Amino acid sequence: MSSSSVLEEIRRAEEFLVVGKGVWRIDALDKVTGRARFTSDFVLKDALHVRLVKSPIPHGRIIEIDAERALGLGPVRVFTAADIPGENQVGYALPDQPLLPADKVRYVGEPVALVAAPDEDLAEKAAELVEVRYEELPAVFDPLEAMERSDVLVHEDRGTNIAEMTRVRKGNVERGFEESDVVVENTYRTGHQEHAPLETEGAVAIPDTQGGVTVIASIQYPHLCQRITARVLGLPHSMVRVIQPYVGGGFGGKDDMGPVVSAMAALVAFKTGKPAVLVYSRRDSFTSTCKRDPSVVRYKTGATRDGRLKAIEVQIILDSGAYANRGPYVLWRATMHAGGPYEVPNAKVDGFLVYTNKVFEGSFRGFGNPQVQFAAESQLDELAERLGMDPLEIRLKNLLRPGSRTITDQLLESSVGIYEAVKLLGEKTGFRAKWREYRRERAGRVRRGIGIACGYHGISTSRGVPDWSNATVILGRDGSVTVETGICEIGQGSWTAHAQIAAEVLGVPVERVKVVGGTSDAPDTGATHASRGSSIGGIGVYVAAKRLRERLAEAAARLLECDPSDVEIREGRAFRRDSPDDYVEWEELVQAAYSMGYEMSATGYFFLPKGKFDMERGLGYAYPAFSYIANVAEVEVDLETGKVRVVRVWPALAAGRILNPVLVEGQIEGAIAQGMGYALTEELKFEDGRMLNPNFTDYLIPTSLDVPEVEAPIYVEDLYEYGPFGAKGVGEMALIPTPAAIMNAVKNATGVRITEIPATPEKVYFHLKEAGVVAGE
Amino acid sequence: MNRFNTHIIPVEFEYHEPRTIREALELLARWGEDAKILAGGTDLLVQMKMRRVEPKCVINIKRIPELDYIREGPAGVRIGAATRLRRLERSGAIKRLFPALHRAIGWMASVQVRNMATIGGNLCNASPAADTAPPLMVYGARVKLASVSGERTLPLEDFFTGPGQTAMRPGEMLTEIWIPRQPEGTGSAFIKVARTAMDLAKVNVAVALTLKGWSAFNVRIALGSVAPTPMRAREAEAALEGRPPTEGLLRRVGDIASEEIRPITDVRSTAEYRREVTKVIVADALRKALGMVRVGGGVG
Ligand SMILES: Cc1cc2nc3c(=O)[nH]c(=O)nc-3n(C[C@H](O)[C@H](O)[C@H](O)COP(=O)(O)OP(=O)(O)OC[C@H]3O[C@@H](n4cnc5c(N)ncnc54)[C@H](O)[C@@H]3O)c2cc1C
Repeated sequence: MSSSSVLEEIRRAEEFLVVGKGVWRIDALDKVTGRARFTSDFVLKDALHVRLVKSPIPHGRIIEIDAERALGLGPVRVFTAADIPGENQVGYALPDQPLLPADKVRYVGEPVALVAAPDEDLAEKAAELVEVRYEELPAVFDPLEAMERSDVLVHEDRGTNIAEMTRVRKGNVERGFEESDVVVENTYRTGHQEHAPLETEGAVAIPDTQGGVTVIASIQYPHLCQRITARVLGLPHSMVRVIQPYVGGGFGGKDDMGPVVSAMAALVAFKTGKPAVLVYSRRDSFTSTCKRDPSVVRYKTGATRDGRLKAIEVQIILDSGAYANRGPYVLWRATMHAGGPYEVPNAKVDGFLVYTNKVFEGSFRGFGNPQVQFAAESQLDELAERLGMDPLEIRLKNLLRPGSRTITDQLLESSVGIYEAVKLLGEKTGFRAKWREYRRERAGRVRRGIGIACGYHGISTSRGVPDWSNATVILGRDGSVTVETGICEIGQGSWTAHAQIAAEVLGVPVERVKVVGGTSDAPDTGATHASRGSSIGGIGVYVAAKRLRERLAEAAARLLECDPSDVEIREGRAFRRDSPDDYVEWEELVQAAYSMGYEMSATGYFFLPKGKFDMERGLGYAYPAFSYIANVAEVEVDLETGKVRVVRVWPALAAGRILNPVLVEGQIEGAIAQGMGYALTEELKFEDGRMLNPNFTDYLIPTSLDVPEVEAPIYVEDLYEYGPFGAKGVGEMALIPTPAAIMNAVKNATGVRITEIPATPEKVYFHLKEAGVVAGE
Repeated sequence: MNRFNTHIIPVEFEYHEPRTIREALELLARWGEDAKILAGGTDLLVQMKMRRVEPKCVINIKRIPELDYIREGPAGVRIGAATRLRRLERSGAIKRLFPALHRAIGWMASVQVRNMATIGGNLCNASPAADTAPPLMVYGARVKLASVSGERTLPLEDFFTGPGQTAMRPGEMLTEIWIPRQPEGTGSAFIKVARTAMDLAKVNVAVALTLKGWSAFNVRIALGSVAPTPMRAREAEAALEGRPPTEGLLRRVGDIASEEIRPITDVRSTAEYRREVTKVIVADALRKALGMVRVGGGVG
């Protein structure tokens, strides 16, 4: 299929029957009736329960693991690095992470051994009795310190604590700053964020009769789990089967942790010949799974008097914790997005990923982007302030448009809807008038403020990293439709979108489509991350369904005695365009096609074309497309308690075709809540590398009562040529600008710029006090 | 040993469901300190899962009808120790007579938790952050303790002796809370500073005062989460007692209260912030209480 023909078809289509409609989630009934089954619902009677033995120290050599007392308790088994039959390696970007460490531990909470027993109590008790002797090593916790030190190394063999460096060199920043009339420079800091999925990480592994293993797990990429598990067990990939049941939230964390828990459970099942179940406790989920990388971002921006951006110079330091995991990719994304969705002629960006002796970081909705957008969007407001402009004006002056180039010098030919989105958003919210009024008022104890922030997010993998879509569509003899995909349903609604795409292309009601996803039995569709589940994942479904549709049109033409091009198939009927009353029912049509010798299953594959990227200068083709977002937030700040209340948020999204507005709204609302938690309350506290609040009593995510009113989103449907029906990604978008929108609103309310999140009441209170802002002023 | 929530109770214990107070007291007498009373379990079960307590015997008092009541009498209101928070929240008498207590309860946890949790459990758990303690203290509530050898009552203020520590002796249980009616012209209020809508207090405060003419009398201020036990701020009370509650004075009273407390820095907040915010919310609560009297919402 040539790409231009797809786009042409989409453009030509005037009306859709299923796509773009608020179709019911295909999993809705299962979930509201409680029929939906999650990983821990698959525990078999004779299963062994697995518990982790975790490191109590941040850095140390493992001298000895003594399991004698644990084994003395009864039918207990203990597994360590020495028991791993294959390769003890689960590192993603770099080969630096063992499943279970053999020589040393690098953070408090690192699993050093697995304990298995027939019941949970016994496993728990036995895990406490495994004695591990360590020789403690000095540890580093602060990334700025870790960068400078070579005497304390988290990974000795690397010779440095810097795991990865990235850069962008566009134009000439020295000249850019010389040509600038104002220059603003600040340092921004962001903290950890825990994914806090309702369902913790877990896997059930069942040995099969052929020497392999089947894993049922809470995951985001079955084929990656298959690959890592096979590597750890020393098996061919085909001997490991991975199945995703319903998943109670992923947010990126289960992309990284799915393979780890799968491999752990599989190791026990493989060594014992018994089913094994490992479900992380909430505490494990806090102490021993990846988080969002904390960051320090130094940001210098220059602009001319009329508000045009001239240059940026940015240094990004991400704290990777004990392992690199996805860090290098997170850092690349942060680096390439550092300019925000604006035209910046001169850019110099340097990124550093730094090891420390804390829990490792990894994928999380936004993937490095929220950290830099917080800085970039705060900077823009500071610039506007110095120039005497309002925040809307400076954005409209600099936003990307079709024909613009990004800071990696990528030319954006089309599908760039941010300018229009921001313009509409400004009008809808009455931004300017409110912003001026709140700024003028600034009186009393509780102050109101309004803020805007934008964001953009590359869809698919970055740079030249290959990306593809792949799916199988099968028509049953009874006319039922099965879509097989590796894309996971993690609550976001991708399977519903898949069903909509298949139904639209085939011309059947959406209820006829069943999606079998999240399994290694389906074609490798890549991971459910990077906002690619429905957008990239859906392309394969589109292509496969298209193939079947062509065959069905031929079969129908024979039945209706016309040319295939005159056949129309819609709502489960095939007919001649010129005589709709003369039709064939869908079931008849499929059966006839079977008898006529048409193959009624098809695979759809699409390899995304990508351009060149120069890693030396960080220039070139960064992503196949970008989605765009802008949020306006209105807040109230209590000067005397430092509490920030987000009253209302207005989102505007330019993400191509909106396949299902109800699902998209769900994603936007959830992302705003998660972004608000990140900005205001969610804070992991550490003391000598030990997490002080690994629980929901003291790690505070917003409750339904804290979440602000989210207004109906503005959609600018800037169609993307390769997306199914022109769709781009949505899932991560609304989180990205939320912290900056809130902090810009706080500035509008109080005149004080807060450069560090989470902005807890304590922080806000003392910042305001320092700045001399008091009530009644 | 682990001290975190494993979501299982890895200890064995005997379990009893007495139907009368008498039976419960006999079990308590038999098991002494090895027994734990289970009411709503919203504190106890968490602690057992964390193995902070490992009782050999658990006595469930939620099947005892004589512990579940709200009785309004001429002198005050009597509340059975095992009365659920949700029931108190929905009680017209509590709302009318003791608005600060009503507010505190409505602000606790979530509806689901309030459907299980009891007022007696909140007090006996003796957390410095217990939200029902400050309002009950400002209303001058008394608690009744019973054992096989008899009953005694004491002011709630004397009940708390330290974090998780109370004046209850082995073999004793809390059976009733008594709250006296407040004099004509009394206003009261409760304020909590927390991080989200469902959170334990960083600081909580309850106040009550009676307005006679232009002056405030019978001033009571109690704070939680700022000392090892919920506490009265007596110097702050004295500063306002018998004087007209001017804006300047209310602020000064807040400052005095802030000097009286003994906060610590923990994961929930810093000592410094607790001191700062205490100033503000004490004054806020006093203003609110005054507002209630002035609009005629005072307690009759
Ligand atoms: C999610 C969540 C949120 C919460 N939020 C809040 C909040 O906002 N504010 C707040 O103050 N608390 C909060 N709590 C704590 C708890 O819900 C309250 O303290 C509750 O009132 C405890 O009552 P209970 O009946 O569940 O007590 P239980 O757990 O049954 O008992 C608590 C303790 O008191 C003892 N006990 C109980 N009744 C008696 C009796 N009659 N005589 C002697 N001893 C007795 C028990 O042995 C135990 O030691 C929260 C708890 C949870 C789980």
